[in-house]
Amino acid sequence: MFAVEMNNVSVYLGGRQVLKGVTLRVPYNTVFVIMGPSGSGKTTLLRVINRLIDLTEGARVEGSVKVLGFDAMSYDPYELRKLIGMVFQVPNPFPHLTIYDNVAVAARINGVAKSRREVDEVVRWALERAMLWDEVEDRLHDYPHQLSGGQRQRLCLARALAMKPRLLLLDEPTANIDPVNARKLEEAIVSLKDEVTVVMVTHFPHQAARVADYVAVLYDGRVVEQGPAQQLFLRPTTDIAQKLLRGEM
Amino acid sequence: MYSWRMLREKLFTCLIAVLSLLAIVPIVHLIIAVLINGFTVIAKAGINFFTNLPPAPLSREIGGIAPSIIGTALMTIISLPITVVLALFAAILTTEFPRNTVSIIIDAVAKSLASIPTIAVSMIVFTLIVMPMKGFSALAGAIALSIIALPYAYTYFSTALRSIPAMYREAAFSIAMGRWGAVMKVLIPIARRSIAVGVLMTIARIMGETAALLFTAGRFRTGVSFSPTSPADAIPLLIFDYILSPYETWHQVAWGAAALLLLAYIVLFFATKLIVKEVKL
Repeated sequence: MFAVEMNNVSVYLGGRQVLKGVTLRVPYNTVFVIMGPSGSGKTTLLRVINRLIDLTEGARVEGSVKVLGFDAMSYDPYELRKLIGMVFQVPNPFPHLTIYDNVAVAARINGVAKSRREVDEVVRWALERAMLWDEVEDRLHDYPHQLSGGQRQRLCLARALAMKPRLLLLDEPTANIDPVNARKLEEAIVSLKDEVTVVMVTHFPHQAARVADYVAVLYDGRVVEQGPAQQLFLRPTTDIAQKLLRGEM
Repeated sequence: MYSWRMLREKLFTCLIAVLSLLAIVPIVHLIIAVLINGFTVIAKAGINFFTNLPPAPLSREIGGIAPSIIGTALMTIISLPITVVLALFAAILTTEFPRNTVSIIIDAVAKSLASIPTIAVSMIVFTLIVMPMKGFSALAGAIALSIIALPYAYTYFSTALRSIPAMYREAAFSIAMGRWGAVMKVLIPIARRSIAVGVLMTIARIMGETAALLFTAGRFRTGVSFSPTSPADAIPLLIFDYILSPYETWHQVAWGAAALLLLAYIVLFFATKLIVKEVKL
């Protein structure tokens, strides 16, 4: 059993084929990193897993996608998303809600917490796991625009965690933040894998080496190589993976 | 010494400043003229301006515009919720489902509705509402006003919703919010300032419209009526009639009424700015 099983998945966006017969398996409770150059289909792949691809006008998905044992393409997308948290490339906390409410809203919607006390506990737990609690515990009623970019991204991680998801999708979560915040986010990600399976997209080889248990290399919509991180970093078998790891792509 | 590039930049800045000033001066002049002339009249009439009936044509007393104030308030109260609710739902539908056939039809109808002359709307409402009801009424006036204001409100609301970056919609869906939840809990609250401005502009459109009321409201100025089914007057109608009349007293009343209308807009504008805080993205 795998947290995510993709078999021969192809995605067409407005007639253009973005994913070309992708097959990959994400074991439970691991950090699975997807690497690849810009435009290789990494974000699209994540959006297939939680069916956010449905929001893209004219998108068509072929092949089989199993997420946490459910057939993702025939399962109710709203029910599916209750099991999957997601952090996007650009920090996108809800600007009209306070730090507290940004996290609480996810817990309430998914029925994770109902009473005020339960919500308080989940908010604290999620902010602690996102390594943000110490920085915001006395300013929970501030708004996201009062936080730095890195703090905003960790708030998004806390929002995703407050759903108590079984799968966490991270779409280049450190691409727009400073190295200190990036490192904190990485620490948070690694510490999470006992409770949640993480699928992370990144184009930083060093970051992948620090956090990944498994790696898949995506190029032009195809998985050109995948396997345990150590094996792939030490002995990449394809030319594309070698170039990507050397930062030449 | 200035280089040619710096000189050109200075000249361009000056040109923009002069052109902006040229655009602002007539508006400021208009506002000041209406406020000075109008408030001179209101000060002379005192509280009676708000409570009395309009003066007889050759009267020396200024009297008041109570029927017009009540009529405008009544028609705004009836028309505003209808307009705002319909326009907001239409904007949500066309923003969330832009390729849906119903959305395409609504968008096309809203755009074409804006280009229909307001006097024609007045005549249509006269045929469909006034004639079957056998009389002018505040209700007929309010319906005509709603038809006029609907495309404007729709345009404001749909622009406000479309201007929200897609990442917030995606964030809402990613935490398992449904489409309705995303609209009500995320998109509308983020766009609240723009929507509030849209509501304000709709009020301004409703309160300031004249032609739509010519064949619908009834110009009832000999008493004060609070009934939606009775004839009513409106401030713009009174201004239109009185400013065209040959009587000096009526001209003064028209100035006072115009100042009152303008003051209402200014108060609403600043109240909206104060009450509805902008969401910082």
